[in-house]
Amino acid sequence: MRASTGLLLALPLLGAGTALITTTSNAESGGTRGDSPGAWWSQVSLAGTRITALRTEGSHVTVQTGSRQTLQSVDGGRTFSPQPGNPPITSAAQLVSGNQTWKIDPSGAVLRGTARGEMTRDPGSPNLGTGAHLIAAPAALPGVVVAVAADGTVWRRAGDGGWSESLLLLPMSLAQGVPRVTSVTAFTRPLSGAVYLSTDGYSVLVTTDGGDDWIRANPGLPDSVYALSADAAARSVYAGTSDGLWVHRLQMLPAPPAYSDRALALRWMGISLVSVAVAVAALALLIRGIAPGRTGHGSMRT
Amino acid sequence: MIAAKRAASAPWWPAAATLVVSAAALGAALLIPNAFSDPNGVDPNVIRLGAVSLLLLAAAFMSARLAPARPVLLALVAITTSFSLFAGGPQLLQDVLGPRTPPAAAQIFWASLAQLVVTAIVAALSLRLLAAELRPSLRLTHFGIRGATASLIGVALIVGLALALPASLLGREGLQPVAIARDLSWLGPASVLQALSQELQFRGLLMGALERVAPRGWANVAQAAFFGLTHVAVNYQGPVGPFVPVTIAVGLVLGWVVQRTHSLWPAVIIHAAGDIGITVAVVSGLYGF
Repeated sequence: MRASTGLLLALPLLGAGTALITTTSNAESGGTRGDSPGAWWSQVSLAGTRITALRTEGSHVTVQTGSRQTLQSVDGGRTFSPQPGNPPITSAAQLVSGNQTWKIDPSGAVLRGTARGEMTRDPGSPNLGTGAHLIAAPAALPGVVVAVAADGTVWRRAGDGGWSESLLLLPMSLAQGVPRVTSVTAFTRPLSGAVYLSTDGYSVLVTTDGGDDWIRANPGLPDSVYALSADAAARSVYAGTSDGLWVHRLQMLPAPPAYSDRALALRWMGISLVSVAVAVAALALLIRGIAPGRTGHGSMRT
Repeated sequence: MIAAKRAASAPWWPAAATLVVSAAALGAALLIPNAFSDPNGVDPNVIRLGAVSLLLLAAAFMSARLAPARPVLLALVAITTSFSLFAGGPQLLQDVLGPRTPPAAAQIFWASLAQLVVTAIVAALSLRLLAAELRPSLRLTHFGIRGATASLIGVALIVGLALALPASLLGREGLQPVAIARDLSWLGPASVLQALSQELQFRGLLMGALERVAPRGWANVAQAAFFGLTHVAVNYQGPVGPFVPVTIAVGLVLGWVVQRTHSLWPAVIIHAAGDIGITVAVVSGLYGF
C-alpha cells in the first residue's frame, strides 16, 4: 500500500484510488526524470534454464542451475562456461554494506557489527527462526535492514533502529500456498536505497523506502525467481529465474514526463482543440438526433 | 421515494442516444490526443473529460431541444469532474499548502471528500433542475433487512472471490503492516467516501436517470457498460483493457443489487469493502497496479 502524490495511479472507480503507486522521491536510483532506460528487466542468457543460485562481481557472474551445474561468465552473463567440479555457490558469512556489518546467526538472531569488530545482537530485533538467512541492507539508507524469517515473514529495521513486520505474503489462490521468499538483496554501495526481494510465485518485489511500502517490480520476469544479486560495479541487479538469467539496470521508477513550458502549452492547445471539436460534434449529433418533433415527447417538461 | 416509476410519456431513445454519443465524445477526447501528444503526461487528471461533459451540459440547459439529454449529462458531469478533482486533488493541496501539505494518505482522504462533495452538489442540482418525471431515483432513504442481507452476502462474496482468484491477476500479493498502520486511518474512510461517490454517480444518477425512460434491465446494462468504459480513462501508461470487462461485470452486479433492494447502500457497502480490500492487500505495480 503506497499512498503518495508524485504519480496518481489508481483504480479509483472500482478500486480505490488508494492502491496507489507513487514515488515521493521517484528514485530507485540516482537517475534524472526523463531518462529513457529501456525495459525494467531484460533477459541476458540461459533461456529455458532454471537458475537456483547466483553471485555477481563486476563482469563476473557465477550461476548454479537446477541440475546443480555451476557455470561462470566473465562478460556480464552473456556467455557461460562450466566450472570444473561444480563448486556450490555459498552466501557470505556476513553482510557488509557501507560501513555496517550484519549477520543472522544459526539460531535466527540478527547480529550487528560494532566499531570494535564484534557482532552483537541488534536491540529489538526479532528472532527470525532457525534456518533464516536472508538479509539485505542498502548502503544508501544507513541502519535500514530487511530480513526474512524462517516462516517467510519479511521484517524491516528502520533507520532509527525499530524493527517491524514489513511484508506478509498472501496465498497465491485458495488451492495454492504462500510463495517462498527466495532471496533479498540491496546495493552495498550507496547507489540506491532500493531493496529487492524475490519469490517463487510473485517474481520480484522492491521497496525504496526501507520496507514501509513494496511495489511489484516484475515486468517481463517469470513468476519464479530463485536468486538475486545486486552488482554495484555494473549498477545492476541480476535475477536467476525459472527461465534463465535476467538483469535490471538501475533506473527511475516510471513517471509522467516533464515538459518545458512551450511544449506543454502546445500540447494543451492540441488537447483543448480536440475536446472542443468532439463536444461540438456530439452536440450536433444530439440536436439532430433527439430534437423534439422527431417523436412525441413534447409532454416532457423543460 | 423507494423506486422511481418510468415516465409514461418519455421515450427511451433520447437518453440512450445521449449516453452513446457522449461516451463516444468522451472516448474521442480521451484517446485522440494520443495520436499527437502525450495526454497522460500533460493532462493526467483528465480534465478534458470534465470540460467536454460540461460543454454538453451547458448546451443542454441553453437549448430546450436538448432537455431529454439533461439527466444523463448531469450524471456524466458528476462522474468526470469529480474524478478530475479526486485525481488532481493531492497535487492541488501541495500547490496550495506547500510545506504544510498533509501526508499522502490524508491528501487522498481530502481528495475523496472533495469528490463526494462535487457529486452531492450535482445530485442536488439534478433533483432541483430536472422535471419531476425525469428526476433520477437515488435510493438513499431505504436500507431494510433486504439491504443488510445483500450487503453481508456481497461482502462475503467479494472476499471469497478475491481469495479464490489467482493473486497475481489481482495484485493481491501481500499485506504491508507498516504502511497499513500508517495509512489505513485515512485510506479506510477515503475508500468509503469514494464508494459512496461512485455509487451515487453510476447506480444513483446515471442508472436512476435511465430507469425513468427505459426498462430497468437495460438501464442497468447501460450504466454498467459506461462504468466499465470509464476505467479506460483511469490509468497512466495507457488503457487498462482487461479491467473493462471485469468492471462491467461488477457494475452489472452492483446495479442489480440496487434494483433488487431498492437501496443504494448495499452497493456502497460492497464497493467500499472491495476498495478497502484493495487498499490493504494489493501491492502496487510499477505502473500503478
